Amino acid sequence: MLETRNLTKSFGPIQVTKSVSLKLEKGERRVILGPNGAGKTTLFNQLVGEIIPNAGSIHLDGADVTALRVADRARRGLSRSYQKNTLFDALTIRENLGLAAAVALGKGQGLWSDPLQSPEVRETVREVAALVDLAPNLDATVSAVSYGIRRQLEVGIALATRPKVILMDEPTSGVGPEMSKGFHRLLKSLPRELTILIIEHDMDLAFDVADTITVLNYGEVVFDGLPEAAKGSQLLKDIYLGAWEDA
Amino acid sequence: MFQHTPLRLTTLALLAAGSLAYTFAAGFFGLEILAEIAILAILVIALDLVAGFGGMVSLCHGALLGVGAYAFTVAATEAGLSAAPAMALAIALSAALAFAIGAVCARSTGIYFIMATLAFGQMGYSFVFQSPLFGGDDGLAGAPRPDLGAIGIDLTDSRAFAIYAILLVAVTYLVAAATLRSGLGRSLVGLHHNEKRLRALGLTVWRAKATAFAISGALAGLAGCLAAQHTQYISPGLLSWTVSGEALVVVILGGLGTLVGPILGAILFVVLKHEISALTPYWHAIVGLILIAVVMSRANGVVGFVEARLATRKPQPLVKEAKADA
Repeated sequence: MLETRNLTKSFGPIQVTKSVSLKLEKGERRVILGPNGAGKTTLFNQLVGEIIPNAGSIHLDGADVTALRVADRARRGLSRSYQKNTLFDALTIRENLGLAAAVALGKGQGLWSDPLQSPEVRETVREVAALVDLAPNLDATVSAVSYGIRRQLEVGIALATRPKVILMDEPTSGVGPEMSKGFHRLLKSLPRELTILIIEHDMDLAFDVADTITVLNYGEVVFDGLPEAAKGSQLLKDIYLGAWEDA
Repeated sequence: MFQHTPLRLTTLALLAAGSLAYTFAAGFFGLEILAEIAILAILVIALDLVAGFGGMVSLCHGALLGVGAYAFTVAATEAGLSAAPAMALAIALSAALAFAIGAVCARSTGIYFIMATLAFGQMGYSFVFQSPLFGGDDGLAGAPRPDLGAIGIDLTDSRAFAIYAILLVAVTYLVAAATLRSGLGRSLVGLHHNEKRLRALGLTVWRAKATAFAISGALAGLAGCLAAQHTQYISPGLLSWTVSGEALVVVILGGLGTLVGPILGAILFVVLKHEISALTPYWHAIVGLILIAVVMSRANGVVGFVEARLATRKPQPLVKEAKADA
């Protein structure tokens, strides 16, 4: 469903992703681990087209999308949530989800009707709001709600496009343990055919939801395998998991 | 998002009723001022559509108005078209140019967008100023008013022309409001707040911006047609950046991103201009002081000030009120 082949990106002399090759099957849930500065978010930015790689290629659903722009990739079913909330702060949660659904349905440039009133958009808003537990807050303005609710909305907007592949950049970043557990439940409740790639520092969540785990270190893939194998890997203990194992 | 609050609807109704009533009470000069207000109101609604809701602060809307005025006049006088097709042609040309400008400027934001639109506007001004085809510095005369004799309306009459101008303001407002309620309008507001996210959701940002700019340009072109019909003489000054600057002042004075605010701003601006200029040639300085006071008050123009005052009289709920748009 999503594949990278030898993806390489440098900023000046610093190589932030070094020949990264990944292959995600349809419905696979993969967690990317790695210390700060490992190149995880840069990898995501290349996958969605916000950063152009120096070398290598990206394939979505069998097609080479390396040369496609951000919006074109999104229209092919690639959606993402951001580590730092990237929302429409002055709008309500309903309008945020509705706008995302409208754009994904190709109604974002129509002139003859209000897409937020269309049955398809309303149904998507209702479904996604229920999924990410935002139904009670639909008419609240984003700038007036808590950080945790904004994190839920961040993921909700990505889901409202009804993607084939969703990339989540640290969805539990900055939230408390209770809300983190909520994200576990959310991730498990998502449709099984949805392919999910998550950057996550929360080890419990990572090993709870992941089918496979990839570990990046200094821009290189140093581990790619099953969660059970990751837990036992000495290499991972050395570069990343030592503190978790000891805890 | 764009919403009609009770306050705004009431204001609109009062403006419509008041202006129509005034057409029957006013003398010649009053009707001329009313037509002048209507032309400015159309231009500032057009500007508010992209600047207030889309964050695209333009300094070429004067030029787009000028394109409409010149295209209408040339089509009607040189090409011999009657007023209606000449207006359609002029509006289409303004829209097409605005689409091109919007497409080119779509990648820039903030001060760079302002400067790019200023450059386009001044290019238009210089071209018309130098071109013998458009009468150069002398301008062009002879723009006709639409012939509505078939339905018993004589637009050479100031009262009839003022009512016609008010109706065009209403049409402009309805077009702008319908645009803001459409998918494009929803995206336009979204672009103002978070362009990056909308792109990531799959929106072709340049096309959305250019289309919105084209609709705004078409409305500015309509204002140009009306300006040409009003004075029946046009000059390159219509395309000058100062016209765009004044329009921006009016939008800020009335309330950016409110649609109804700029109409109030147009009334205030034209009335102040005529009243204060009768007392002193330095009327621009007085308007400048008023603008500074409005900006320093941190209210969003006249409409924002009234809405903020009304909001302080009731408890602030968590759930979004209709006032929070754009």
